Amino acid sequence: MTAAARIWRFVKHHSLTVYAFLVCAYLLLPIAVVILFSFNAPEGRFNYVWNEFTVDNWIDWNSVLGIQDAVETSIVVGLIATLLATVLGTMAAMGIVRHSFRGRGGTNLLVFLPMSTPEIVLGASLLTLFLNSTTVFQLGFWTIFIAHVMFIVSYIVVTVKARLIGFDRHLEEAAMDLGANELTTFRKVTFPLLMPAIVSAALLGFALSIDDFVITYFVAGPEQTFPVFVWGIARVSVPPQVNVVASAIFMIALAIALANVLWQYRSAKRLQGAT
Amino acid sequence: MGTFFHRHPGLTPYLLLSPALLWLGIFFLVPLGFLGYQSLQSGIYPNFEFTWEFSNFTEAFSDYRTQLGRSFLYAGLATTAALLLAYPLVYWIAFRAGKWRNFFLLLIVAPFFVSYLIRTLAWLNILADEGPVVGFLQTIQVLGEDGRLLATTFAVVAGITYNFLPFMALPIYVSLEQIEPRLLEAAKDLYATPTQAFLRVTLPLSAPGIVAGTLLTFIPAAGDFINAELLGTPKQTMIGNVIQEKFLTSLDYPTAASLSFILMATILVALLVYAKVVGTEKLTG
Amino acid sequence: MNPRLTRNELLRRGAAGGALLAFPSILAACGGGDGGGSAEDGELKTVLNFSNWPLYIDVDKPTTLQKFTQQTNIKVNYFEDINDNAEYFAKVQGPLSQGNSIDRDIFVFTDNSRFPGLLVSQGWVEELDKDLIPNITNLVDAQASPPFDPDRTYSLPWQSGMTGIAWNEDVTGPVTSVQQLLEDPKLKGKVTMLQEMADSVGLVMLQNGDDPGAVTDDTFNSAIDTVQAAVDSGQIRRFTGNDYTQQLTNGDLAAAVAWSGDVVQLLADNPKLRWAIPESGGMIWTDNMLIPTGGSAPTASTYMNFVYDPVVAAQIAAYVNYVTPVKGAREELAKSDPETAGNPLIFPDDDTLEQVKQFDSEALDNEEYITLWQGVLGQ
Repeated sequence: MTAAARIWRFVKHHSLTVYAFLVCAYLLLPIAVVILFSFNAPEGRFNYVWNEFTVDNWIDWNSVLGIQDAVETSIVVGLIATLLATVLGTMAAMGIVRHSFRGRGGTNLLVFLPMSTPEIVLGASLLTLFLNSTTVFQLGFWTIFIAHVMFIVSYIVVTVKARLIGFDRHLEEAAMDLGANELTTFRKVTFPLLMPAIVSAALLGFALSIDDFVITYFVAGPEQTFPVFVWGIARVSVPPQVNVVASAIFMIALAIALANVLWQYRSAKRLQGAT
Repeated sequence: MGTFFHRHPGLTPYLLLSPALLWLGIFFLVPLGFLGYQSLQSGIYPNFEFTWEFSNFTEAFSDYRTQLGRSFLYAGLATTAALLLAYPLVYWIAFRAGKWRNFFLLLIVAPFFVSYLIRTLAWLNILADEGPVVGFLQTIQVLGEDGRLLATTFAVVAGITYNFLPFMALPIYVSLEQIEPRLLEAAKDLYATPTQAFLRVTLPLSAPGIVAGTLLTFIPAAGDFINAELLGTPKQTMIGNVIQEKFLTSLDYPTAASLSFILMATILVALLVYAKVVGTEKLTG
Repeated sequence: MNPRLTRNELLRRGAAGGALLAFPSILAACGGGDGGGSAEDGELKTVLNFSNWPLYIDVDKPTTLQKFTQQTNIKVNYFEDINDNAEYFAKVQGPLSQGNSIDRDIFVFTDNSRFPGLLVSQGWVEELDKDLIPNITNLVDAQASPPFDPDRTYSLPWQSGMTGIAWNEDVTGPVTSVQQLLEDPKLKGKVTMLQEMADSVGLVMLQNGDDPGAVTDDTFNSAIDTVQAAVDSGQIRRFTGNDYTQQLTNGDLAAAVAWSGDVVQLLADNPKLRWAIPESGGMIWTDNMLIPTGGSAPTASTYMNFVYDPVVAAQIAAYVNYVTPVKGAREELAKSDPETAGNPLIFPDDDTLEQVKQFDSEALDNEEYITLWQGVLGQ
């Protein structure tokens, strides 16, 4: 093979990788700027111009009034709302894809509708519901939770459905032929195979929850989540502590992902060692 | 418990669906009902009366046709761009990343854990008129002397594309990830070139994911308002901006409500057309 | 220390009148635990729930809020949950329209939006207890009788701000008139106006020689046409909330219709920024304290009296850097911080105040005008 052909083959083989890294860079570019400016010590109240490097923002990250509570609320609501929405959504996806029943079309419609409703009217209408039922629903943490589950569920259903359509049922049939009942089959065959889809859907759900401003603003009552806090304060100031918190959320997520990779390597090694 | 379902197999779908449907029923349909009630009201804030005012719909539609059409255009462009950007990336993650798959998945979602406003302020920084990106584009003559990236249609569509990229990427990953490598091996054994293997095995098998990603991107993008508000001029106003403004500033709740229903209805029409084109099984399973 | 003694004495004297009247009620309320919220009995409560805009009160300890609690035994729950007049109104209008309390005693709305006028005309606010506000005499004359509340029955100003033109000296020479802003070809595409109708339309009306305090269909339409022409020509890049700040600072914008307080802050980051009232005049707006339905008028009024003490007002003004409505605050501040006291953007002199006008509050509520203006903002 000529040198040119070899080079061409090298390029072809790696062009996809290069492309993937370029797109990742594009996705991460603004985050790099956010992280950079978290180390800035701005002269004034706005963090627009680079002034000088400091780590004080990271040390005093919760010195801005309200930022700590907002972040804690965001993360806790995000985690539990995503969890419940994922359970509800996965069950619903299984129901829709695997069974034919009356009202299938209507159910699909109902799943798409929340995504197509503008957040402002949805938030305001939900607020009206809560205000008219104050004996049951007090505005605060739990109304945020309720609202988040509501708008996340649709995304979970659509994502998990994508995996269920075209799911190879032979493995499940084999399991049942070998004597497993439906529940066991689900536990030991279906669920593990669905796991990547469920995890992907949950990631999307968490992203939706932790970034939601409009609906949360209406139903939060006295509570604040991080986006509500940021939008509120951005009118008069963009303190670097906001960048610090945002960067920290991002980096903790990456750390978890890295831990997962390391764990996978260790498991693989253990398996190799065992054989 | 297994025997209960054996005896009542028809119940299973209802049991699986009812928690989600109940939640949506109470916390989405009831508010939506109230919204419907508002859309048929007339009057000036705060004295609205329910008068079966169907003219709200016709008036709103004719007044804001332009913004509605523009929203669909921008959403369509952004969805296409997101698909073209995301597919190769996700293909790489599914087939080439090995043990680093989950890491890269999280890597492409994690930027969206950071608040939208902060991300966009960073983009305003990066794409500033006097910034490096515009400067570069001016040097290579893509942009004119007075050219700018921000406050243009390009900026709005790019903003929407960027912000919905993970919603396109992850569903596609979900259906690529399940493709058995043996299928591709079989294709190779049958003398298929890599391109043919892709076109005739991978792409069709990833179709449900593409459909899902398209839906999760297009539907919310059509109602988006924030990108047009921060990155556009008055000539890039989308229907989401109109609804936002009608509701907040004009206190014109009936028009805001009827516009919301018009948006929902047009999205559903688009969905039906889409379903016909791709085949309903891929849409609904 | 002497100054502190004097300040304490002033505070005591200033509040003496109100405190005397409220004394029996304080005793009564103290025994009854947390009493924030409903004011059915008109009694002074022990808790004040105050919703305000972010970064709108001093933070250096001891803060004015802490001093208030020390002096009156009223605890203040301070909420920075107002980030936009319209958004906050959308959140609270539900309960208010049904006559229910929103668990707040004071909230703050800007008078160049339709909301203070709407709240007053709908009766969704409580009357001030002026007997408890002897310091109301310290209100600057210009604010004595605003169109939406001519007798100051329901509201008192918190801070004011001026709307004028800001420009970046690195990008352009001085931009002294609205006409220059909207027509100078050198500024094309590098100019923004505010989304707030009162600010932008007001400035243009002044440029046209019309009176923004008495809007007519003709004057409004001609102002709208002027702005629309500037949008069509590409002169105006965008209409903004306060998000012009980043792009003005980094030079993407040459000039912007801007608020005085923002520029005071931005100067720290970019000393090349300038702000001025346009030749034909600028606009002034005031954030007003109001008492929502169900709020405790006596408690809220006691607090309002407290912040109308010049010493307290000086401490707040020193941090917030907007225009205080309290007479005597500048003199107080000059004793400890002459530089800030001398800043014309924070303490404008009478000549400056002559040049800034308020927008016609009825026009703010006019649906046709709003629709026309929104039509310019979003086409």
